Amino acid sequence: MNPQDLLFRAAGPQDLDAFERIAAASATGITTLPADRTLLREKLERSAQAFASLDDSSGEEIYLFVVEDLAAAGGPRVVGTSGIAASAGFADRFYSYRNEMIVHASAALSASNRIHTLHLCHDLTGYTLLTSFYIEPAYADTLAPQLLSRARFLFIAEFADRFSDRIAAESPGLSDDSGRCPFWDAVGRRFFDMDYPQVERLTGGRSKAFIAELMPHTPIYVPLLPEAAQWAIGQLHPVGELPFSILLDEGFDTETYVDLFDGGPTVDARVSMVKTVARSRPVTADGAIEKHGKDGTDSTGSNDSAGGLRGAGEGWHLVSNTRRGQFAAVLHAGPAALAPSARRLLGGDDAAPLRVAALDLVTPHGEAT
Amino acid sequence: MKPLHVREARADDLPLLTDWLGRRVELPAAPHERLLLAGCDDPVLPLRATLRLVPAIGLALPRVAYHVGCTVHAAPELGLFHRQRTLLLGHDHTGASELADIAWPQHEVPLAEQALALHTLVQAALQHIGRARARYAQRLVAELPGPRDAAGQSPFWFGLGRHFYSGDPAAAAATHGPAWRSHVASLLPRHLLYTSFLPAAAESAVAQVRDGALVLREVLEDAGLRYAHHVNVEDGGPVLEAEIDDLPAVRQSQSR
Repeated sequence: MNPQDLLFRAAGPQDLDAFERIAAASATGITTLPADRTLLREKLERSAQAFASLDDSSGEEIYLFVVEDLAAAGGPRVVGTSGIAASAGFADRFYSYRNEMIVHASAALSASNRIHTLHLCHDLTGYTLLTSFYIEPAYADTLAPQLLSRARFLFIAEFADRFSDRIAAESPGLSDDSGRCPFWDAVGRRFFDMDYPQVERLTGGRSKAFIAELMPHTPIYVPLLPEAAQWAIGQLHPVGELPFSILLDEGFDTETYVDLFDGGPTVDARVSMVKTVARSRPVTADGAIEKHGKDGTDSTGSNDSAGGLRGAGEGWHLVSNTRRGQFAAVLHAGPAALAPSARRLLGGDDAAPLRVAALDLVTPHGEAT
Repeated sequence: MKPLHVREARADDLPLLTDWLGRRVELPAAPHERLLLAGCDDPVLPLRATLRLVPAIGLALPRVAYHVGCTVHAAPELGLFHRQRTLLLGHDHTGASELADIAWPQHEVPLAEQALALHTLVQAALQHIGRARARYAQRLVAELPGPRDAAGQSPFWFGLGRHFYSGDPAAAAATHGPAWRSHVASLLPRHLLYTSFLPAAAESAVAQVRDGALVLREVLEDAGLRYAHHVNVEDGGPVLEAEIDDLPAVRQSQSR
């Protein structure tokens, strides 16, 4: 597969079949994609509105994206999904557990203990939330998941005023094939006589706050939990490893928050510190990448790529357009000029503005950069 | 059984009381503290019970106990209604008077005789309070020991305290005396605990009395003390409490 045949783009109503196929395939982990055609249609409509809206952001927008393999056997095919919720817990609260250490000490008994506690918190309320990541297993080892996850940061960088300056992403926690989840069994189940999958169905499509408000509001002393549950805190379900590793590479922090229900890690970052956001640069009208200085004095590049992209270094780059309604991004192998085919995929004329960010990934020639 | 009499302990009683309580016992140091003994003219077992009347606790070292509370988590739309029992560490008994260090020989002593010795001693202590009412507090408390398994291990401690203090409670008590609980309190959780997070054996030990001490519970309840939702931090045994002025033995001795 040629990475340049991959197209990242805003999802639309025409992707309903693909979303339904993916929601069914991703029973574990992606609770933001309900396996219900009606709910999925509504979600896609909401997303389409968010992309097209001329209004200022209200925070309730969700943006869904797909990656298409344009050269797939049998014609262009959606092979993955990803999403962004503008504001976590919009119009409600977004609950997480925050890891905290409490030190208890007694001089008389010459004892001092660091006690791990979990505090129910609303810290992440209002953060922008990355959601709905799924890549077809056959594409896991290609550049498709990189494009699928990281191109979202170009969108966020381009339309920063529609997002928070802080960002988070939930990851699925440990559970077995039958849905048994050691963290849930030790914590949530004591307050609901329900299996974890049952609760997930209950919350699918609505705010978790509804359930969270029934959980204890005082800190949980981790040493009092069964060992299996202690072990599960901050542990990732294997299906979450790929998107998780991409976000860690982007600079997300994994130490602070875990999911209320399954104990999976919730990563967070300042948007400005996210690698792809920090690296991303607008491309000027003449096709040169704007460097750090506004005067562009260190913009370099040859003149032989008129209408393309100049100044990209060696290796893979993400290149996106800057149109919210028809957002799209592709992979570009530097330092060559942007291929006319890529230009066409991004839409607009040769002078249309672009945004670009370098990836720390293996180049087309197989060299690590 | 021979008639019982109550007297104050002397220095030569201390080895026996140390044996009963399993730790060093001292004669009263504070004013109006009394270390009382119930005895009879029995050549085999002349001393039958001991009790220390303490005018005010928790004023030098903080005195801790868990308050046993209840919280309800309800969601009518889910058909959920959960009553949860909670524990909260506190110093609710600060300043109260206490019937402390209650001990009595149980081996081969008929239960009725145990009860009579304890009853006589408790009544004597309450009458003493009545006669010197101003020297004692508004509230009176008395701790009852919680359950232990055959090995002498407390399931309540095993399920809760152990996770916060890894040392041996018996050894700490031997070293520090009753003050060890004040010391260990600084290691125990300060936030509200849900007992449903504890192992079943620990959860069911909350406010339960060790078998051998049920007779003491009856005697104290007969005197007017009641469980008022506090348990001790070590073995979860209940603390019995009363308003001193409501106790019949105190009122009768006052009106005399």
